[in-house]
Amino acid sequence: MKYKRNGNVSLLLFTLPALAVYIIFKLYPAVSGIFYSLTNWNGLSREYDFVGMENFVELLTDTYFWDSLKFTTLYVIALLLVANAAALILAVAVESVKKGKGVFRTIFCLPNMISMIIGGYMWQFIFYKVFYYMADNFGWKFLDKSWAGDSKYAFLSIVIVAAWGCIGYLMIIYMAGLQGVPAHLLEAAALDGANGWQKFWNVTFPMIRPALTICIFWTLNSAFQVFDVIYSLTGGGPGRSTQSVAINIYEEAFQGNIRYGYATAKSTVLFLIIFVITAVQLKIMQKKEEEL
Amino acid sequence: MKRRKRAYQITIKVLLGIVGLFTMAPILLALMNSFKTNGELLSNVIALPKALDLENYIRTFDKMSYWRSLGNTVFLAAFSVILICLFSAMAGWKLCRTKTKLAKVIYGLFVFSMLIPFSSIMIPLYKVVLSLGLKNSLAGLSLIYAGTGTSMAIFIYYGFVKSIPIELEEAAAIDGCSSIKTFFLIVFPMLKATTATVCITNMLWVWNDFLLPLIVLSDNEKYTLLLSTNTLFGQYSSDWTAILSALILAALPAIVLYIVFQKQIMRGIADGAVKG
Amino acid sequence: MKKKVLSIMLCLALTASAVGCGSGGSEDNGEKPEEAELNILMSFPQYMEQWEGYCRQFEEKMLEEENIKVKVNLEMPSSDQYDSVLQTRLTGDDAPDLFTIHANNIAKYTEAGYLADLTGSEGVSKVYDDVKKTVMVDEKVMAVPIESTAWGVVYNKEMFEDAGIELPETLDDLRQVCEKLKAKGYTPFMLAFQEQWVPQLMTALTLGGLVSGEKTDWLDRMYEDQGSYEEVKEIFDVIDLIMENGTDRAMEEGAEMGAADFANGKAAMYVNGFSTATMMETNPDLQIGMFPLPVNDNEECTKINLSTSTVLGVYEGGEQKELAMKFADYVLDDEDSSQLFQDCGFNPIAPCHDYETTPWVQEAYKYVEEGRSYQDLVLPSAVTDEQGKLLQELYVGNVTVDDIIPRLDQAFQEANKLAQ
Repeated sequence: MKYKRNGNVSLLLFTLPALAVYIIFKLYPAVSGIFYSLTNWNGLSREYDFVGMENFVELLTDTYFWDSLKFTTLYVIALLLVANAAALILAVAVESVKKGKGVFRTIFCLPNMISMIIGGYMWQFIFYKVFYYMADNFGWKFLDKSWAGDSKYAFLSIVIVAAWGCIGYLMIIYMAGLQGVPAHLLEAAALDGANGWQKFWNVTFPMIRPALTICIFWTLNSAFQVFDVIYSLTGGGPGRSTQSVAINIYEEAFQGNIRYGYATAKSTVLFLIIFVITAVQLKIMQKKEEEL
Repeated sequence: MKRRKRAYQITIKVLLGIVGLFTMAPILLALMNSFKTNGELLSNVIALPKALDLENYIRTFDKMSYWRSLGNTVFLAAFSVILICLFSAMAGWKLCRTKTKLAKVIYGLFVFSMLIPFSSIMIPLYKVVLSLGLKNSLAGLSLIYAGTGTSMAIFIYYGFVKSIPIELEEAAAIDGCSSIKTFFLIVFPMLKATTATVCITNMLWVWNDFLLPLIVLSDNEKYTLLLSTNTLFGQYSSDWTAILSALILAALPAIVLYIVFQKQIMRGIADGAVKG
Repeated sequence: MKKKVLSIMLCLALTASAVGCGSGGSEDNGEKPEEAELNILMSFPQYMEQWEGYCRQFEEKMLEEENIKVKVNLEMPSSDQYDSVLQTRLTGDDAPDLFTIHANNIAKYTEAGYLADLTGSEGVSKVYDDVKKTVMVDEKVMAVPIESTAWGVVYNKEMFEDAGIELPETLDDLRQVCEKLKAKGYTPFMLAFQEQWVPQLMTALTLGGLVSGEKTDWLDRMYEDQGSYEEVKEIFDVIDLIMENGTDRAMEEGAEMGAADFANGKAAMYVNGFSTATMMETNPDLQIGMFPLPVNDNEECTKINLSTSTVLGVYEGGEQKELAMKFADYVLDDEDSSQLFQDCGFNPIAPCHDYETTPWVQEAYKYVEEGRSYQDLVLPSAVTDEQGKLLQELYVGNVTVDDIIPRLDQAFQEANKLAQ
């Protein structure tokens, strides 16, 4: 018992700096944010009323919000599949290269070092100037589309640019997982007559499961909050057709009617969604890992 | 068998080379066109520039107050990362080693808050910044990064500490070593690899973050590279040559650092992620 | 031992936060007679240099005339972030002493108590009455107008002469103009819809013309939930005509880029009078003019739109309110302001602005002198945004005119509800 109390004193001492900045700059703002979601504050006037759950009730029939949620969900799924599959394939491929592995790794990871604000503007140049130039001068008519301006293609463009930005990061994590696969296990499997695919599925894949967990968690969490890349590429347009939830919230808080209380209600919902999904994902993956 | 292997090596290299070219294309095209005059750019966007004319760069270099913005960014990233590493290593280690309810609760709190979207805390956070007088303070901004970044870092440290044997620490305790001493002399050095990860991932985050500095820094003498670049967009929105040279200038430090320290960066990202 | 270490840790944590706090305050050296700081937030990043220079002039003037050593901190967030930055600052008790807003928002900011009454102050008393009306709420002048624009359709004079075109007065005329231009191989309209405020200009011009010429009570009824966009559906006839006869790839063109392309001869007409500075910079030899956009076949509706966009307000509760008022006066200074307005390409708004305006401005003001102009309509900003968004979607084919009308009605009603 005495040990335990001492343990707590020492614990508090060590966690104090982290706890202090965390409470001041994250927990308190988050809690007061939830408080504002129960008010009709417009972010501008000094007075506001407590409206209870009114904002959340209104949210149920807000088609723009649900559209943005649908868009975000599709985006998350697309990025989850595209970026992770591409990163894993690249990781396996690069890992199998004998000489010059480092060069490829360096190249694939480069976009990750650049802010998506900068990356988004670079891609605007590609979509707005380079693609049209190629369409006009090389006759590559399939490029003659409004990649960032037409809702039909803008989703694809956003996923491409976002994947471009994060594949390298995911690839490194997968490569590290692959390097942890003991060579003797693969050799043993080869001796047992396993082909490449069987070796991958039965030996390699279980070993990189922790990497997979990390990557999926990271993709889920960041993709649900996507803002930068859409902001710099389409601004959510045309109209509202490429609005993510984060953009929709931003718009609600700062443009048009300016309803801060309502916007924080939306962020509360976004938070709940992210929380539930990632928590479930972590639980499932943990279980799987323990089973192994 | 050997021939097949060689054929495979060549094929895979060619394929990876093509993918690599596509990956680099946006950056290379931006670089190429940033040297052109406006007319040259409009007439052919995929040709090499006629001359390595630095005029666009000279123009934007001054406009962005490049050295000052870079200095601000370096200070901000370095200070934030030091705070995050130190605070989180201490907390992560102790939280993992203390088997009390309180430790569980605190750890749970940190992990839970990893999922709070930034947009929901933006304005309340700004009010906190003002009441503490941290507006326009780069050091203050670092504290905010520490506050928002520690949860993830603690999660990583915690996971790593779990995997290292406790015996060494117990032996130190028996020798009469205090917790603090044990931490700095024994534990922290063992966490080197994790610290590298935390350092690198947070460095990337702070370096490339845009919205938070935008809110906290309003004095253009305190602007980071991204903020200065953003201001420039407003001024040159019809001139791609100026925009592209600004983009290259803004991306350059990160790219140079990356090329110099790539081994450490890769190892940092990978080690921590997998072991955490 | 333990205590000592604890105190070291605490010190570490405290120093870290103290460093943060320390740099926030400013130090007085107490030598100069009077020092003051003035924080100004403006939405003109493209005129950063001009305004920076003007602030330095103001500092000199204050030091000379009032013996006040002023330090003006001028901030220019990019325009898409401007509103959020301003709002965060105002609500965060960190209001700038002066800030720009759109003239349409004056009433809202007045109601929230952020704007100081400028009635009777030296600067605004010089402003032309027509312009002054646009910055008044309940007979009080609440802001200094800065950008006042006459707008309609900007056109390329050479192309019009080449095709032998007379300026259109009705929608039919405009149709013929398009045909004649196309026959000569010119693209009639420059479309640059990337930023939603640009397509929005088409609704502003058509609604304005229609309401001033025929449906005079439409807007009032809209504010009372008694009207519908169904009644003004004909505005989409013009909008369709413009979209059908425009340049390709409109969603990739920003307003400025569009102006540059227009100046390079990509199209003959451009519904955006705000970007003329870019046009002249891109092609100094460009000959442009302006005519009012016809809405239908009633010439009464074909009028020039007079609007004040950006205005400068003084923060009501500011510590430096007096000094801020002086700056507001200085913006319309008899000697210095003329140069500033000319450099920024703004239109004259007071008699002291005696510079020669460009020919196209003179052409537009001819209509104004004939009485063929109206004040820009004030719509709730949520509705304005909605119009811009829906026109983008109309252009890319996501929605039809019949989809748009109920959505605009709904947006208007929601804005009405929130305004109560």
